[in-house]
Amino acid sequence: MAKKRKEIQDVANQISRRMLFVGGLQISFGLILVGRLYQLQILHSDAYLKLSDQNQFDHRLVIAPRGRIFDSKNRLLAGNAEVFELVVIPARVKNLEKLLANIDRIIGLSDEAASEIIDTASKQPNFLEISIKSDLTQRELSKLAIRSAILEGVLFQKNFNRIYPQGKLLSHVTGYVSGVTAQEVEKNQTLRRLVGLKTGKSGLEKTLENSLRGNFGKERIEVNSKGKPVRFISDNLPQRGEDHQLTIDIDVQSYAVNRLKQGNSEVVELATSAVQEAITRNDELQAHINIGETMILKDAKSRYVPPESGAVVLMEIKTGAVIAMASLPSYDPNLFVGRLSNRTWQNINQHPRVPLMNRVVSGLYSPGSTFKMVVYAAALEAGIVSADTTYFCKGFFEFGDRNFYCWQEKGHGRVDGRQAIAQSCDVYFYQIALKTGIDRIQNMANRMGLGVITDVGIPEEKLGIIPNRAWKQTNRGSIWTPGETVIAGIGQGFVLTTPIQLAVMAARIANGKKAITPKLHSKEVENTDDFAPLEINEYVLREIQRSMRSVISDSRGTARNYDIDGYKMAGKTGTVQVKKITKAEREAGVIDNIDRRWKDRDHALFVAYAPYDKPKYAISIIVEHGGSGSSMAAPIARDILKFALERQST
Amino acid sequence: MSWTSRLLAVPWGMVCAILFLVLIGCLALYSASDGVWTASVQQHLMRSGLGFLIAIFIAFLPINFLFRISFFVWLCFVAILMAMPFIGVGAGATRWIDLGFMNFQPSEPAKIAVIVLLARYLSQRSFDQIYKLIFHVPALLIIAITASLIFVQPDLGTGLMLIVGGLAVIFVSGLPKRYVCMGIGLLAAAIPIIWSQLYDYQKARLLTFLNPESDVLGAGWQITQSKIALGSGGMFGKGFLQGSQSQLDYLPEKQTDFVFTLIGEEFGFVGNVSIILIYFLIIFSITGVGLKAKNRFTQLVSSGLAMTIFLYMFVNIAMVTGVLPVVGAPLPLLSYGGTALLTMFVILGITINMSQNSHKEDLEVS
Repeated sequence: MAKKRKEIQDVANQISRRMLFVGGLQISFGLILVGRLYQLQILHSDAYLKLSDQNQFDHRLVIAPRGRIFDSKNRLLAGNAEVFELVVIPARVKNLEKLLANIDRIIGLSDEAASEIIDTASKQPNFLEISIKSDLTQRELSKLAIRSAILEGVLFQKNFNRIYPQGKLLSHVTGYVSGVTAQEVEKNQTLRRLVGLKTGKSGLEKTLENSLRGNFGKERIEVNSKGKPVRFISDNLPQRGEDHQLTIDIDVQSYAVNRLKQGNSEVVELATSAVQEAITRNDELQAHINIGETMILKDAKSRYVPPESGAVVLMEIKTGAVIAMASLPSYDPNLFVGRLSNRTWQNINQHPRVPLMNRVVSGLYSPGSTFKMVVYAAALEAGIVSADTTYFCKGFFEFGDRNFYCWQEKGHGRVDGRQAIAQSCDVYFYQIALKTGIDRIQNMANRMGLGVITDVGIPEEKLGIIPNRAWKQTNRGSIWTPGETVIAGIGQGFVLTTPIQLAVMAARIANGKKAITPKLHSKEVENTDDFAPLEINEYVLREIQRSMRSVISDSRGTARNYDIDGYKMAGKTGTVQVKKITKAEREAGVIDNIDRRWKDRDHALFVAYAPYDKPKYAISIIVEHGGSGSSMAAPIARDILKFALERQST
Repeated sequence: MSWTSRLLAVPWGMVCAILFLVLIGCLALYSASDGVWTASVQQHLMRSGLGFLIAIFIAFLPINFLFRISFFVWLCFVAILMAMPFIGVGAGATRWIDLGFMNFQPSEPAKIAVIVLLARYLSQRSFDQIYKLIFHVPALLIIAITASLIFVQPDLGTGLMLIVGGLAVIFVSGLPKRYVCMGIGLLAAAIPIIWSQLYDYQKARLLTFLNPESDVLGAGWQITQSKIALGSGGMFGKGFLQGSQSQLDYLPEKQTDFVFTLIGEEFGFVGNVSIILIYFLIIFSITGVGLKAKNRFTQLVSSGLAMTIFLYMFVNIAMVTGVLPVVGAPLPLLSYGGTALLTMFVILGITINMSQNSHKEDLEVS
């Protein structure tokens, strides 16, 4: 009995012990919970508070209307149109693909666009908005609004679309804006949070990006878990970007573009069946039509051809104000604002004549005979020649074991400097270049603005090449040879310049006192005293100016037919070979430009200023594969100068 | 026994704690309903009132009667659970019976029935039998039958809680240590088999639990949002009705399973730890009744009931703080949801009843 008592007591003790043990376990596990709460609510509280704040508030940056761009007479070149944009927040959508399919059924959405959206959604945090379609029409807007019940997670946002009312006329100056790229986001993460933000990708839009963009507004939207806004709190209002006025005169620009495009050909009616048929058969015409070209020409041989390609810069001699600046072919910057279709992009990007390239600042061309002013000035300044010094041209110049030919096979006979410029005698310049030396020529070219960045404000401006001996050593690793000086004397060989540099050269020669640089902003041309002195002897400049006048006024001048009625023009033609003429070809007689393939024709150049007595405008023109400077480029320059001068006087 | 000593024996701390939690539950419900006095708050109060009546009723039953009917009650629950596929309601899971005024979840009170039955069976075993494994097999069978009926509903959380509660009773009854160790070893070995038997959504919950950030807006959403709400509450909380997570609907199931989170967001660490302490007050009140008792039946029942409440609290809080996967377990008295609430009052009733009979040495089936 006692034994049983003891047993009972043992078991009772054991039960009590085990109950206490279980209680102890429960306390330990309870402490785990308390520890966990301590971790969440005390240690990491700040982080969670931030997350909660992010949940509660949709911190949003609000895009400011972009600054506008006007021409010198306050006509809009780049502005903003208020649009509604359809955006989606993937985090609030159950099935993005299905949603996009629904939207496709309502307003139409290309597969390409849909897959792009899905792709973007997979690459970024899902709470970031993605634009589905910008620029919704009223009709699309109402169609979508009715069906908003099946479109969970999408919302409409008021936005601004960039518009370029001048279309293709000024695309290389204004440039264009388009959606933010991955590289931009990498540099500035906040850009990712701005759906519909467009940034400048080329031209002034790119250069002036910071000023045009303005300041983003800050807004907090209290949202519930379903993405439904409950309350709006505006912390900072967006600040509109700065407006900019340019020196460009869109009337002159328009005239210059159309004049250059037309060249010497006849503009034909697009709607005729003959033209339409020609377009379907001719890939080159087709390529132009595909980028929105509406001008088709009939050349001297009655062939249908696309408009001319090239560049023109017209600037004021006193102020450097650029009145017109065009690169052809051009593109419509409005295309880049919305969603650019692959096809449109290919049409532009794979166009044989590279419309995206801004030839004015990044087209590198041999200046050809337009370089002769530089050589003559260098020779005069160095005392190698005087205005009276003559050389005999027999059609070629023998140097070493090689003949350097003049464009005039028969030769020019005995010519002085002014005659050599007027008739563009190559042999004269071969000889004085050789005597002057490449270093002096290079120095003079730089002073005239060649081989120097103009900083006009357009990105991707190229330096060009004005060689000297040191340059050759550094860049080619070999010694400069005299033969290279000879060929540089007529602006060929290594020499490469941009059209804007040639315009600057003409402006500096005409100005005579200041080292004019081109300016695109109206504000910048108010004060003309900022330019550095030109530092070229006045006697030298007078002689160069007279020579350039002779090109037009001399009875044998290369541009003798193209003076401007009522104003006198001074200029210089340039015809640049793009294909080496072989000895056999030379003996057989050189084929006329018009009979060659377009690609093999010579570039036509002309630099000029007018009026001769009271210089107002300087111009440089290059017509790619245009034939010759005198027949093609000079009349275009004459017409543009005339248009600008007459417009200015009225 | 005099009336005064009877009154003194009632675990008043537990009664007060339960009343207090009901009130807190009403406030949380009020907050969860955007600060509106909705019908659900009223319902919570009414059900609590009903619960008190049930508790008082059970408290006055002779303890011998509880002892005797335990097998019959358990059989009834087994029958109801087996009938669940035919009479149950619920989306994808047949856990509830629609009683018209409330959805009744039989698996909740079934836990109590199992504990009482186990206590009855084990308290009747002689001291020799207690040390032999064979005599524990019927107890294990009771647990296994009931749990498997709950698992197939499917309701993983409740089933597991029933198993742990039942095993606690067996453990306290005096199962030799070597079998306890063996059991733990067997359980570890069984995990892969259990995994293969899980439903896809159960697996998804477990996987999400292991890495909640992997799917912030899918299955991990609840846990992530819950942690944000708790964490952002800080030491003292954002204030009553000021919880942005809860008020803006980021918090899922905020008036049911995630009510602890809502309290945490609005009353902070201090509020949450207070809630845990109150639950421990209840748990230890029950354990205290057991420790004072002179009969094994009371000791074992109180161990099981204390463990049941502990598990409710632990599983729910561990779940909302991201320590355990989301299993869908309420926090009784605070969570809106009838059955768990009523179960708590049944536990209260049994506890009070036992507190009045702790002097009895042994209970018999007469």
